[in-house]
Amino acid sequence: MTGQHNTIEIGSEMPEYISLPITRTHLVRYAGASGDFNPLHHDQTFANTIGLQNVIAHGMFIMAIAGEAITSWIGNKNIKKFHSRFLAKTEPVDWDNFENTKDRATIVVKGKVIRLFVENGEKLFECKIVAENLLGSKKLSGSFIAVVTGEPPRDVNE
Amino acid sequence: MADQSKIGMEFPASTFIIEKDKIIEFAIAVSQKEMKNQIHPVYHDEKAAKAAGYEGIPIPPTFLTSSFFWTGDGLTGMVTALGINLKRLLHREEEYEYFCPIHAGDIITRKMKVADIIKKGKGARTLDMTILEVEYINQRNELVAKSRTTLTEI
Repeated sequence: MTGQHNTIEIGSEMPEYISLPITRTHLVRYAGASGDFNPLHHDQTFANTIGLQNVIAHGMFIMAIAGEAITSWIGNKNIKKFHSRFLAKTEPVDWDNFENTKDRATIVVKGKVIRLFVENGEKLFECKIVAENLLGSKKLSGSFIAVVTGEPPRDVNE
Repeated sequence: MADQSKIGMEFPASTFIIEKDKIIEFAIAVSQKEMKNQIHPVYHDEKAAKAAGYEGIPIPPTFLTSSFFWTGDGLTGMVTALGINLKRLLHREEEYEYFCPIHAGDIITRKMKVADIIKKGKGARTLDMTILEVEYINQRNELVAKSRTTLTEI
C-alpha cells in the first residue's frame, strides 16, 4: 500500500503504528544501541531500590518508536522539529505472564495534522502525536514539523 | 538537588563520528528487529538511501541523543556535575530541531550547556527542572541540529 495520503491537509491522520510488545530484551538492545545504561531500564534490583516493581522502558525508546512511526510515513529528511513530553512509565511484557502483560507493553502511535504554514519559503505542516499502550495509558504526547513534499508519503505497511 | 549556580555552565565539547554500523544498530533497536536486512534500507544501503533522495545513509530522528551517553562524561558525568540524584531523575521532555542533513561519516561536535534550572513548588513538594541545550556542528562548521532536554528530580 502506498500513497495512502497523497496530500497533507489539516486533519490528515498519520497511519497508526503499533509496536511489538516491548520485552526486556528490546530494552537491553536499545540500551546498547543508545548507550543509555541507566540501570532503571534493565536491572530489576535497581528498580526495586526506588520502589518500582519492574524495570521500565527508556522514555527515549518510546520517542524513538514514535520517530519510527513518523519516518515510516514521511521519510526522515523532511522532519524539521520533533518534540515529546513523557507522561507515564512503560513496563515491559513478562514472558511468564505474556497474555496478561502484553497490552501494557504494546505502544500505539497516532498523529493528526493540525497546522499548515510557510516558513522561509518552505511549505510545512505540524502534526500532533500521541503514543499510548493498548490499555489507553498515554506514554508520550508531542508534535513534529515537516516539509510538505510533492511525493506521496510512504505507508507504514510498505 | 540541582545547583542553580550551574545555569549557563558549558560542558566540554566532544566530537564523534556518525558510524554507519551504529546507525544500523540503532535502527534495529528502535524498530524492534533482529538484523539489518529487516530495517528500512535507507539505514543500511547507500544505493537505497540515494534513490530516496539522501546524500548518504541518514540517521533516525532521535539518534543524536545517543552521543550524550558515549561521548564526553556521559550520564554519570552530567548528574555529578549538576548535583542531580540519579535515583530521583526523570526525563520529562525532549526536542530536536534539524537544520541540515546528517549522514554516516559526518564528524559532529556536540556542545552542551545548562540553559536553565527551575525550582517549582515549596517545602518538601519541590520539583527541580534542569534544561540542557545541545548544539551539533558538523565537519564543515554547519550547525546541523539542536536538542533541548528537560530533566526533573522528583
